[in-house]
Formats: sequence, C-alpha cells, structure tokens
Amino acid sequence: MNDSMISIQGVSKSFGDNHVLTNLDLEVKKGEFLVLLGASGCGKSTLLNLIAGFEKPTAGRVSVNGKVIEDITAACGMVFQQYALLPWQTVQQNVEFGLKMKHVPKKERAETARRFIEMVGLKGSENKYPAALSGGMKQRVSIARVLANDPDVMLFDEPFAALDAMTRQVLQDQLLSIYEQSGKTIVFITHSIDEALMLSTRMAIMGARPGRIVQDVRNELPHPRTAEVQLSSAFIELKRAIWETVQQEVGRTLAMSRG
Amino acid sequence: MAAVGKSRKGAGSLAWLSVLSLLGFLAIWELVCRLGFVEPIFLPPPSQVFARAASMTEQGTLAWHVLASARRVMVGFLAAVIVAIPLGIWLGTSRIARAVFDPVVSFLRPLPSMSWIPLSLLWFGITETQKYSIVFMGSFVPALLYVMEATRSIDPLLVRAARNLGANRWQVMREVLLPGCLPQIISGMKIILGLSWTCVISAELVAAKEGLGFMIMNGKEFFQTDTVVLGMVLISFTVLATDLVVRALERWLLDWQQQ
Repeated sequence: MNDSMISIQGVSKSFGDNHVLTNLDLEVKKGEFLVLLGASGCGKSTLLNLIAGFEKPTAGRVSVNGKVIEDITAACGMVFQQYALLPWQTVQQNVEFGLKMKHVPKKERAETARRFIEMVGLKGSENKYPAALSGGMKQRVSIARVLANDPDVMLFDEPFAALDAMTRQVLQDQLLSIYEQSGKTIVFITHSIDEALMLSTRMAIMGARPGRIVQDVRNELPHPRTAEVQLSSAFIELKRAIWETVQQEVGRTLAMSRG
Repeated sequence: MAAVGKSRKGAGSLAWLSVLSLLGFLAIWELVCRLGFVEPIFLPPPSQVFARAASMTEQGTLAWHVLASARRVMVGFLAAVIVAIPLGIWLGTSRIARAVFDPVVSFLRPLPSMSWIPLSLLWFGITETQKYSIVFMGSFVPALLYVMEATRSIDPLLVRAARNLGANRWQVMREVLLPGCLPQIISGMKIILGLSWTCVISAELVAAKEGLGFMIMNGKEFFQTDTVVLGMVLISFTVLATDLVVRALERWLLDWQQQ
C-alpha cells in the first residue's frame, strides 16, 4: 500500500522510573539507509532493540513490513558491536546458522553461505573458527550471517566502534557496496558524525532524556563518497548543521545531569 | 605458545623422576615388610599383592570384579547425566522452573549417597538396580548443579543473536546452550565420575556379591589383606583409566577450542 518498511508510532519505553523514550514517531522507507546518530545514553540502542523485538515498548507500536513486532523476529537481522558469533562453529557454519534454523537443505544453505562469504571478502576462511579471526573479519562474518538469512531490514548496533580506523573505513566502503547490491533497508547506529555522513541516505539525530528525534535530514551527497566528496562544501555544511545540533543536545544533557 | 611448548618439554624430561619415585616407594614398602617391621596381616608387601593379582587374573575373578563395578558406574553415571543435562539447561534458563525445583534440589544436595543405601536396599533389595540407584543419587544432583551453572555462564548475547536469526526456544537449547556449556559440563563430569566411583564402592562395601567394593570387604572377612590392598589399587587404576577416556572424549568434542 505504501513504501514504508519500518513504522514506529507513539513509542515510549521506560525501565522503572527511567523514561528512555517518550512518544517517538519514525517512518523508514523501503531501501533507505537511516543512520541514528546520538551521544551514548540517548536511547538509540533501545530504539534498535524495539525494532528487533528484543524489548517490548511500554506504549505505542512498532511494525516492520506491515507486521506489528511482538517477539524477536528474523525479519530484522541484527549486526552486534560484539559480533556474537558462535565460537564453536566455523565461519561457514556461522553464516549457515539462520538457514539451518529454517531447515533449508544442506546443499542449498552451503551454497548461499558461500555466496555471502565471498561477498564480504572472506573467501578462503570458511573453515576457520572465530577465535582465529581479527575484529574486522569477525564483523564481516556477522554481516554475511545476517545477509544469508535474507531479512527485510538490517540493523547495525555501532558495528564498527570497536575496530581501528583503517579497518573501519574498509568495512564502511564494503557495507555501502553491499547496500547498493542488496537494496536492503538499513538502520545503523553510531555516535560518529563522519560515519553517518559517509553511509546514510538519511540521518536522524537523537537527543537524550527523554530520547527523541531532534533533527531528521536527508543525506544526498553523491556516491561513491570519496575524499573529494568529503572535502566538498556540501559535506562540510551538512556536517556543521549536524554538529551544532549534537553539541546543543550534549550540552543540555550535561547541564541536566549536573542540575 | 612458546611458554606452553617449554613447559610440555619440561614435564616430559621430568617423567623419569616420577617413575623413580614410584619405584622407590615400592622398594621401601617391600623392604619394610620383608624386614619384619610390619606384620603382613596388617600390610602385605607389594610382591604379595602382585602374586594375588596374578592368581586372581588366572581364575578370572579379577576382571569379573572390575567389570561389575565399572558397569554399575557407567549405568548410574550415564543415567544421571542424561537426566541432568536437559533438566539443568532448562533450570538454568527458566527462573520459574528454578523457583519450582529449588526446594527439592536444596533438600537433596547435602545428602551423601551413602545415606540412600538403607532405603535403596528396602526398595530394591541386594540387586543391580539398587547399585545403579546409589550411583545415580550420588551423581545426579552435582551433575545438575554443574549444568545449571554452565548454562547461566553463557553470554546472553549469543542467545539473542540466535533468536534474531530465527532460532526457536528449542533450537536455542540445542544449538547454543548445549554446545556453549559443553566445556564446563565435561570438566564437571570428570569430577562427578570420580564421585560415582565412590558411590559404587560404598554400595558394594555394604551389600554386594561382586565388584571391587565387595572384593575388599570379602578380603577383610578372610584376613586376606593382600586382596584388600589389591582392591584399593585397582579402584585407583580404574578411576585413572576412566579419566584418560574422558580426556580423549573432551579433546574430540572440543576440537574448536584448540584452534
């Protein structure tokens, strides 16, 4: 009926007296790459957990692809910051996991897994265990694992925060090319403005106490976002606009926690 | 890796010292008995114990006793483990189940398996079932506690990731919780296997017609101290041998940890 993929309507979430989110509305269109940007403690992870069904909203409702989220669902594949790979399974087995749960025949799931392992550039590492991989490689396995499961939405919870700057950049480029190839709807959390500018087609900046969206901007910078794009006046202007909002929000939160 | 290699090498080159210490111990024991410091009725010399072992092997009674005890341990231990693993995983993950079963477990926990001997004799008579039940009662509660503890130590993020990839609760148990706590379960089982041996020997000491415990008791009745000592030595040997088997099993099952 419409092109909305994620619909968040009047959602509040409290943990006891701690009101993390209040009356939040957000629509994410099919094929959008939305980056949720905000300082720690603004409730962006809680919002992601609500979409994935890990948490239930105190009020309001979340629906994905027309279905109200009531439990954990494979429709929203999550890429965790701490990878969450099964240490006793090889790369191949980890990527096959979701398909195995759906009882996809052995041959077919091996084939699918191989395709996505290749897509994230890990061909040749199929039989390694996660302990033998670097952080960047582990995160790529985790991305391939979600891709192989073919979800409606991919959720990223600060996936590159624990990686070094070089690896992060390589993975950002790779994620963009995966996004372009797969056309998946993506919601990506970060506290890095540069990362948000590099990846997104749209950015939502969140403020804390209570968590809400304070600025919602489209990011129409041209692809690929090369060094040249990053030095263009459009990039810098967008960055400045976001930076001001973020600064205001952080200042407000600090003042509140002092007062 | 270098440190491990070094210590391995060190252990290898010192093995002769262990052999020497064993031989020295046997020599002093033999000498003390030969020189008449101790009456053979109180402590027979090793040579006499060897002679007894040889004659009993010839009669075939030695293997008979060892196998009888080993069979009882295996049946009782395996039954305990087979019940304890699924129940322990369930109790480890469900707070409600824990609340329901906690009083029973708390009541059973401090009871030594010996205390079940009178009741088990009343219920089953001097039968194999009675021996199995003693081994079971002695191994079950510790095994249950080990599995519960192991289950609770699993990173909840792994469970969350598996659910996110489409695993239902049963699949989470089989694919995440069970393999995830296997290392801890196996190291716990090594200890519990030792406990099972204690149980079977005490059951046989009280009432049995064969087995190592019976052999010791019977030796005492006929003042054959060499038989008593031989029985003790054999208990030690069989427990060590079982331990070797479990270690091999561990290496095979936990292949992924060595990578």
